[in-house]
Amino acid sequence: MTIFGPLGLSLAPAIRKNRSVYAWVKPVADWYANVSGYRKVGLKYDDLLVEERPDVQRALGRLTEREAYDRQFRFRRASQASVLHDDIPKEEWIKPEEDVRYLKPHVQSVVAEDQERWKWDNIEVKRTR
Amino acid sequence: MLAARASAARSASRIARSARRFATVVDSAGVKVAAADNGEPTTAVTFLVKAGSRYEPKPGVAHALKNYAFKSTDKRSALGTVREAELYGGVLSSSLSREHLAVTAEFLRGDEAFFVDVLSSFLTSTKFTRYELNELVGPTCEAESTAAASDPATRALEAAHALAFRSGLGNSIFAASGHHVSSEDVKAYAQSVFGQGNVAVVGTGIDATTLEKLLEKSLGSSFASASAPASAASTYFGGETRVDSHDGPQTVFIGFGTTGAPSTELAVLAAHLDPTPSVKWSQGTSPIAAKLPVGASVRSVLLSYSDASLFGLLVQGETSADVKVAGQAAVQALKAAGSLSGDDLKKAIAKAKFTAASSFDVREGLLAALGPKILSGTSASVAEAVSSFEKVDASAYSKAAASLLKTKPTYVAVGDVASLPYVDELGL
Repeated sequence: MTIFGPLGLSLAPAIRKNRSVYAWVKPVADWYANVSGYRKVGLKYDDLLVEERPDVQRALGRLTEREAYDRQFRFRRASQASVLHDDIPKEEWIKPEEDVRYLKPHVQSVVAEDQERWKWDNIEVKRTR
Repeated sequence: MLAARASAARSASRIARSARRFATVVDSAGVKVAAADNGEPTTAVTFLVKAGSRYEPKPGVAHALKNYAFKSTDKRSALGTVREAELYGGVLSSSLSREHLAVTAEFLRGDEAFFVDVLSSFLTSTKFTRYELNELVGPTCEAESTAAASDPATRALEAAHALAFRSGLGNSIFAASGHHVSSEDVKAYAQSVFGQGNVAVVGTGIDATTLEKLLEKSLGSSFASASAPASAASTYFGGETRVDSHDGPQTVFIGFGTTGAPSTELAVLAAHLDPTPSVKWSQGTSPIAAKLPVGASVRSVLLSYSDASLFGLLVQGETSADVKVAGQAAVQALKAAGSLSGDDLKKAIAKAKFTAASSFDVREGLLAALGPKILSGTSASVAEAVSSFEKVDASAYSKAAASLLKTKPTYVAVGDVASLPYVDELGL
């Protein structure tokens, strides 16, 4: 469990619950996501997930072939942009509606599996009947 | 003779008494339920589904479905199922035949509530996730297919089915590596076959009312009805094929097929030809046994399905020459087997009857013999299955044997194809 970064603790679920707070925070969040600039090099938010972890590696293995291919393509395009010290052409920028969490659900299911395994490994059994 | 007949009647009534309760098949939550409690120390519950490879829409789907058993469902994950079953000390297994898929739980008495729930949640709420297919189900299918392919006898029988029945019963039980099966395919197949009218529940060591109550609770009214999977009636074709293989003994399968309900006459013929001795380290009295070269073996194989049977002799040996000698002896005996009469016929009938009766002692045998009957709703009793052998007479037997030999043989050679005999070299 990381504390910081895309897999860490998040206030988002609490904010999403309260409608008026959400209405205040959403424009700021959208502005921040745009200004952070990863969409301008053609990346999605889930491409920034720390992948040097066994659970994320397992989650990556659960992407469909198409998703895995597209992810690799975005990385190559972004590294080319990095070499050129420039953003990619504006029409290729990732639009906010394309920036979906394609990897996070898989990571969450892997983490849930690991937690369940831990639970079963350390369970104390009591027979009630 | 009188004493012998009296003892036969006595044994039949004894079998009938012990299995009388098994004959009742009741509908509970839309599934056929049959249970018998003969005081076993453990309980076994099997869900038998008409979902074998015969009905699969695409090669390998039934095999994948079999290995999806006990994977994650809405109620518990794959790991949770295994760990919880281990805590109870039970064994979960699934097996596939050409017509049926069987998922079985064996456990100690008193744990039936959990295990029946595990079995029924496989039928009602398996998630069929894509990643489980890639990470767990696919590798298991592949390993099972590889293991089957390295056994020449299994390979010969698979090829024989494909030759004899082509599609339907000819479909392989094992997923071939060339075919892509997706989780959606498996899910669609599961949805089409898992339903009322297509499932039978067989319990041993548990009484019927307990099992019915548990099923009503776990399957409930949500269990949708399913129409029986479509399949054309089987037709027998026959033919010859040779498969190059480098592991295991040289193998030859000489088979004949019939369509229609399985007949007891064929079981008698199989019992007559089978050279397995009744006493260890002795030579059996089968006509084949005397002519077998050392190191060669012949097994009679009778595989019965709902509307067809495949009968054959599986000849195995170290060298192709041994196989040729053994195969010629087998064919000679097969041709002479039609004119069986008198004591020889009685001996064969007794042997067939014993084989059938003793198979009921183990759960697998009981399920294989009675499961299809329970599924079709006809009365399933051990006594009936055994007493049907008493009706076999010489004329019906020779007629069955003669009509069997008139069909085109199914011939499969697995091993060194350059030296293994062709079907005409064996005298057919």
